[in-house]
Amino acid sequence: MNNTILSEDEEDVLQELMNIAYGSATAVIAEMLEAFASLSIPNIQVIQVDELLKTFEELKSTSYFFSSQAFNGEFSGESAFFINEESANNLAKHLELESKNDLDDAILELTNVLTSSLTTKLAQELETEVGFSLPSISKVPLNEINEVQTFKIYSKVIVINTELNFKDQQINGKIFILTKDESIQWLKIKLNNILNNLI
Amino acid sequence: MAQNKTQQYIKQLDIDKDILSAINNGVIVLDAQLQIHYYNKWMQLHTKLKEDDVLGKKLYEIFPTINKKTLKRKIQTAFTIQTPTFYTASSSHYLIPIKINQIKNSLFEYMQQDVSIIPFKQDKQFVAVIITDQTIMANTNALLQANIQKVRELNEALIKEKEITEFQHKQLLSNSRSAAMGEMISMIAHQWRQPLSLINTVIATLKIKKELGILDNKIIDNSINKIEKTTNFLSSTIDDFRDYFKPNKIATTVNISNLFEKSLFFLKSELKQLDIEYDINIDPNISIVTYKNELLQTILNILKNSIDAFKEKKKSKKKISVVVVNNEESILITIEDNAGGIRTDILQKVFEPYFSTKSKNGTGLGLYMCKTIINEHLHGNISLESNKNGTKVAIQLPDKV
Repeated sequence: MNNTILSEDEEDVLQELMNIAYGSATAVIAEMLEAFASLSIPNIQVIQVDELLKTFEELKSTSYFFSSQAFNGEFSGESAFFINEESANNLAKHLELESKNDLDDAILELTNVLTSSLTTKLAQELETEVGFSLPSISKVPLNEINEVQTFKIYSKVIVINTELNFKDQQINGKIFILTKDESIQWLKIKLNNILNNLI
Repeated sequence: MAQNKTQQYIKQLDIDKDILSAINNGVIVLDAQLQIHYYNKWMQLHTKLKEDDVLGKKLYEIFPTINKKTLKRKIQTAFTIQTPTFYTASSSHYLIPIKINQIKNSLFEYMQQDVSIIPFKQDKQFVAVIITDQTIMANTNALLQANIQKVRELNEALIKEKEITEFQHKQLLSNSRSAAMGEMISMIAHQWRQPLSLINTVIATLKIKKELGILDNKIIDNSINKIEKTTNFLSSTIDDFRDYFKPNKIATTVNISNLFEKSLFFLKSELKQLDIEYDINIDPNISIVTYKNELLQTILNILKNSIDAFKEKKKSKKKISVVVVNNEESILITIEDNAGGIRTDILQKVFEPYFSTKSKNGTGLGLYMCKTIINEHLHGNISLESNKNGTKVAIQLPDKV
């Protein structure tokens, strides 16, 4: 049981690494959207998947686009990105998109950028490499999709929860990085290596 | 040795080239300005363009449908994050327009493509654009979506149908309530015939005696007493019927023997009129917890069916017998008559609503209601057997509803 719970020190190191990763992610998104972007300081938790589903339930009350992308390697898992309809429409306006498909594509691009820059940077710090699958998107409204149920394949997950804000644009979203038990154990070893080197 | 080394080197070089040439994917190398630097065999075959036709040209010059702005953005992003960016078949359909003529994938005119834009490491000059044919998948997805839509529509139709059925069921229940009321009135009429004729006789006697001048106070008092008693009886009959035809809200302990005694009370005049023997053989200790009036209504209905069957057939030694057996956690009530039975071809239908063999006065709801009450309210079972001799109805009820 204990090997999948992060200690306070481990959580601190992970938080630090994520902050670095988020810094680079923000820069990339700002460049992509030609707008000033800010990401809230990530909130990192290792939680039971049941609790995660509760969070999703809360998100269900409004119409959301939901996209996900798998990443593979020693550190593997899946990212889940939620963006509400209003934000998605603002994104479409900002990028001068004409069709629903173009908007889907833009959301997927945002998902990919967030997932890639976050996990790549984190992987670099942890001295490993990650590969990415194609992201996929689900239609609104959220309560019509079954994917949320399939999150149950994860027993425990690391949830990195952040708000993505573009001050002028009013676009915000939430991203969760989900990893399975074996990756959490692998991560613990790596985090402890870093901790030991610090001492 | 030296030859070996050279051979190995050539081999390695060929592997890369051969794979790029043989691979079942389109591979294009572009720079940030979308100029084509490599165009593999797959691309040449599918677009019917030779290497010489495309190298050095801009991709959007050859394929004018390409959205320059989006592609440039994706390439730029790939350079920045140093990991691939993508187009997916599900939202973008395709990057390079390639006409397809396949029977299998008839839904799409152009090949559906997943596209990965992979930055070359270190230098920020080139990306490899890898194209994967996803037409089959997209076709399957589109068919699936169409079918999901169809299932959704069918489901909606089914829900509507269910609502209609429920409405009809409700109407059926209300119809059957009217039918039960009619039944009750007919039973009251039977009960009243005799006392009413008694009152008539008393009044006629009074009239005759008055005309004959032999009417004294004693006779008047006597007659008034008789009429009073009889009208009281008539009034109590109505109360009884009203009590027993109100549906119960709470289940109570019901003594089965008493319940059948009560049924005799409602039916005795008709039984007597038709000369039917009513043989009740029930252990007076058998009681269950159930809805009393619903059960009585069911039993009366079954007994009435037997009585009506006797009306249509002339027979000596008419008999209805009731046996109740106490099993563990349930009781079995058997009501049997010797009224000649039900034809085998209609035996299957007797529990269906609006099915009746009675030429008039039959609503066709009696046994249907019995089954509904027994199954849904009393949580029991009802079954019916019939032969040339007669009909046997078996009702199984839990000892506690």
